[in-house]
Amino acid sequence: MKSSVIFVSVVVVVITGLLFLGKSFTPRPPGVAQASNNEDQFNGKPAPDFELPQLGAKGKTLKLSELKGKAVVVNFWATWCEPCKIEMPWLVDLQKKYSGEGLQIIGIAMDDTDDKTISEFAHKMGVNYPVLKGSEKVADLYGGIDGLPTLFFVDRSGKIVEHELGLRSLSVIEANIKKSLGSSESARAAATQ
Amino acid sequence: MMKKLLAVSIMVVLCGSLLAQQENVSSQGRSYVEFEPLNTVAVRPGVITPVQFTFHVKRGYHINSNKPTTPELIPTTLGFTPPPDLVIAKVQYPAGQLTSFPFDPTQKLSVYSGDVVVKAVIIPQRAAPTGTYTVHGEFKYQACDNNACYPPKKLPVQFDLKVSKGTRKSTRPRPNRQSPNIH
Repeated sequence: MKSSVIFVSVVVVVITGLLFLGKSFTPRPPGVAQASNNEDQFNGKPAPDFELPQLGAKGKTLKLSELKGKAVVVNFWATWCEPCKIEMPWLVDLQKKYSGEGLQIIGIAMDDTDDKTISEFAHKMGVNYPVLKGSEKVADLYGGIDGLPTLFFVDRSGKIVEHELGLRSLSVIEANIKKSLGSSESARAAATQ
Repeated sequence: MMKKLLAVSIMVVLCGSLLAQQENVSSQGRSYVEFEPLNTVAVRPGVITPVQFTFHVKRGYHINSNKPTTPELIPTTLGFTPPPDLVIAKVQYPAGQLTSFPFDPTQKLSVYSGDVVVKAVIIPQRAAPTGTYTVHGEFKYQACDNNACYPPKKLPVQFDLKVSKGTRKSTRPRPNRQSPNIH
């Protein structure tokens, strides 16, 4: 009887261990992607293209692929997200600082509220980059956007070089922007493509 | 030997189903609040009955209170669609805890964390037929942790309500003679 119990216990432990191992090696579902880590499913992949209405631009839309040759920061945010409010002034400053080097920040508002409220909020925050009205479809392209803020750093060739879920420090964001801007040589190469 | 095999098989199935449940939770999206099930609430026609609903905000998260500090923040609300001749009224939310978070230590937000108890009263009209009803409702909230916020959620809430005839008189005067659903 005692040997049976030991045998069953060992088998259960081994099977459970194998199942957990298998689970941990399975790619994460997109929605649970976390801030920059080595098993990131996005890094090095082309940023999914999208076309979204630009708020306060009289019906104009903005297409990500039109910005090829620029380093792009795609910022998913919402008016109800307090950490996003902390990040926005940093993004404003970084847009000013790096626009000459070819940086373009894009804000994608994930609010359900009306366009006017979002535009007024962005204006109040001094946003100096285009704000687009987000959609579930675009969020799904970017892994479901589990939390806000979420930043995707896209290099001049249109590849994602890094992404961050949740508020990160200004220095981390700036380092990622520099990474997406790349060296001046890669910038020239991208511009001639 | 057969017993051993049977035991192992059962264990494998149990482990598998446990893991499958975990996977299911992550693929359906996370929830940050749980509703503590309520025992059947017994009421009598015309008698105002207090009731309270307890929600547990998961550790590490907070949700806005019913009266957030800025208009952009989404307030926590609890709403019901009661059966005819029953009214759930005077929903009372607890006061929010004024808390500052690492993302902005200079600002205090009015939030709930841990257990949240929402009080209300059930007013069965005198004409309310006896019987057991399932009342459905929704707890709407928007959760954040120390560095990110998560999309607004609607947590379904339901409880059973038993209306039985009694001799006790109403503890309070009837609110009005109008149909309870016209408010």
